[in-house]
Amino acid sequence: MTPQIEISHVEKHYGAFHALKDIDLTIPKGSFVALVGPSGCGKSTLLRSIAGLESITSGDLRIAGERMNEMPPRKRDVAMVFQSYALYPHMNVLGNLTYSLRFKGVAKADAREKANRVASTIGLEKLLDRYPRELSGGQRQRVAMGRAIIREPKAFLFDEPLSNLDAALRVHMRMEVRALHDRLGATSVYVTHDQIEAMTMADHVVVMRDGRIEQQGSPLTLYDTPANRFVAGFIGSPAMNFVDGHGSEDGHSVRLDALPGAPVLPLDRRVEPGRPVVAGLRPEHLFSGGETQFSVPIRVVESTGSIAYYTTDTDPELMLVEQGRGKLRSGDSAALSIAPGDIHLFDPMTGLAL
Amino acid sequence: MRRILSSITDGKGFDLVLVGVTMIFLLALAGLPLVYNVLLSFQEVDMFNLAAFQRPWAGLENYREVISQPEFGLVMKNTGIFVFGSIAGQFVLGFALAIFFMVKFPFASTIRGVFLVSWVMPGLVVGAIWGLILAGDYGVLNAILQSLGIIDGTVFWKSDPRLSIWAVTIANIWLGLAFNMMLLSVGLAAIPRDLYEAAELDGANGLQRFATITVPMMRSTIGAVLALGLIYTLQQFDLFPAITEGGPANSSTVAQYWAWQWSFRIFDFAKGATVSVMMLIFVLVASIVYVWSTRAEVRG
Repeated sequence: MTPQIEISHVEKHYGAFHALKDIDLTIPKGSFVALVGPSGCGKSTLLRSIAGLESITSGDLRIAGERMNEMPPRKRDVAMVFQSYALYPHMNVLGNLTYSLRFKGVAKADAREKANRVASTIGLEKLLDRYPRELSGGQRQRVAMGRAIIREPKAFLFDEPLSNLDAALRVHMRMEVRALHDRLGATSVYVTHDQIEAMTMADHVVVMRDGRIEQQGSPLTLYDTPANRFVAGFIGSPAMNFVDGHGSEDGHSVRLDALPGAPVLPLDRRVEPGRPVVAGLRPEHLFSGGETQFSVPIRVVESTGSIAYYTTDTDPELMLVEQGRGKLRSGDSAALSIAPGDIHLFDPMTGLAL
Repeated sequence: MRRILSSITDGKGFDLVLVGVTMIFLLALAGLPLVYNVLLSFQEVDMFNLAAFQRPWAGLENYREVISQPEFGLVMKNTGIFVFGSIAGQFVLGFALAIFFMVKFPFASTIRGVFLVSWVMPGLVVGAIWGLILAGDYGVLNAILQSLGIIDGTVFWKSDPRLSIWAVTIANIWLGLAFNMMLLSVGLAAIPRDLYEAAELDGANGLQRFATITVPMMRSTIGAVLALGLIYTLQQFDLFPAITEGGPANSSTVAQYWAWQWSFRIFDFAKGATVSVMMLIFVLVASIVYVWSTRAEVRG
């Protein structure tokens, strides 16, 4: 696939602060890429650098093959949906939608017709005369998207666009944004701190930390084979459990020293006997239904009806997830087992996956 | 009795007391003098009945006489030049400075603070300083303009009848600049940055962003600044005695200075009041236009 956005060796400094460190990222035409990470990881800075709202210190940024490093934002032909929506408060919905067309010399009648077409794709036909202050959060969100769509830009940039909506609407809009992306055949870059948004919407997820890309790949690749302990802990909900242990004598199993009874779990790969490791166990993998490998006491039970969350009375605490209402009560002992392929191992010093 | 007391300490009564005190203060110190002034303009006033309240009714005689004065047209023209020149100068320069100080550069806020000096200084002091700057023979302004080659000879800013009103206007622009800049800075700071970013991505260049985002978003601030500018300019008195004393030959006399001359130089209090009432009508019309133009405030 042809690359639409190419970022190579991009660095960004704010004075002494090193905001982006050697970023390499290629975004193919038509793909939906999510930039995800904790706050301050540089994901928004990277997005704003693509838009041209921040300048990059070194490296190369190309959009549709053209070098954009010094290009002002208005000539980059990218559209951005802001977290605050940034709707023009003194213009009605029609004015907001057609604002960009004013500077392209589009005739008023044509602009109006185009706005009508965009409005009907995103369900705003009846609101064209309203002002932003008269709209609900979800409607404002749609106007912000409509304003981007009407431009038919080379890329859509989303800066946490759903974070101001309530939970139910957020889930709904998640689907709608993705459907819109597919229908328009657009190229989208989506910044979020919510890994679920990233996992559900994107074709390609980029996990960032401290201005660096920790790992990138398809959502399930990141889930199945996290490159390091940070990515492993960040992707997946509830977060992965980490338990200290070491490779046992036979070289094909790991002994979890930190858990009661120091259980030995078989692996599907070799590990050097005696090597200290951190084992990563996802909460949803610990009731594999196999023969019980170890038992832990339960301290807290949280049940939503469809899923039950257990917190164990061990050090470190484990988080367990069981489908259904949950049969265990506080004080009970949970019988756990995990498939050998579901155990992740990390180096305790470097955090890298083994 | 106790009910009334407790309502005053923590109820509607307390609200009424607060509003009442303010209303009494306003009526006594602003309302009454205003009404008295209007009344004065319809009466025959001389040194002998100055202390009386009951005076012969003059009808519109005072107005007729004021308008038929030979200098009336000149004073009105000067007032127009002074008011519109001052407001235009203060507003344009103030806006330019406000935008300039929105750009982050070292010591921006300190330098902006220094500009406030003009606002803090008494009008008479400012007038004295500008009197020195504008002086014909030894003035700094002439020296600068001459060394830049803009003028050849000496320009007598204060004593040339064609320039004297402009001399006071220049001083007044400087005096009101900081006030305009501060109000407009506040208005500018209230516009969210991301609107500019969105507009920039939507393809608007700097000038287009100014015209389509800044100006419409600042509408109410601009209205307030212009209305206050008008009021302060019509109140400006100190600069006139300090720079030109209205001369030469009334060439820099404006309505407010003329009113003062009528009342406290010629001691014709009725004519002084008449000129004041004429100014009052002018301000009233401007205020109504201001209130009307901001009736549909658009913000967020």
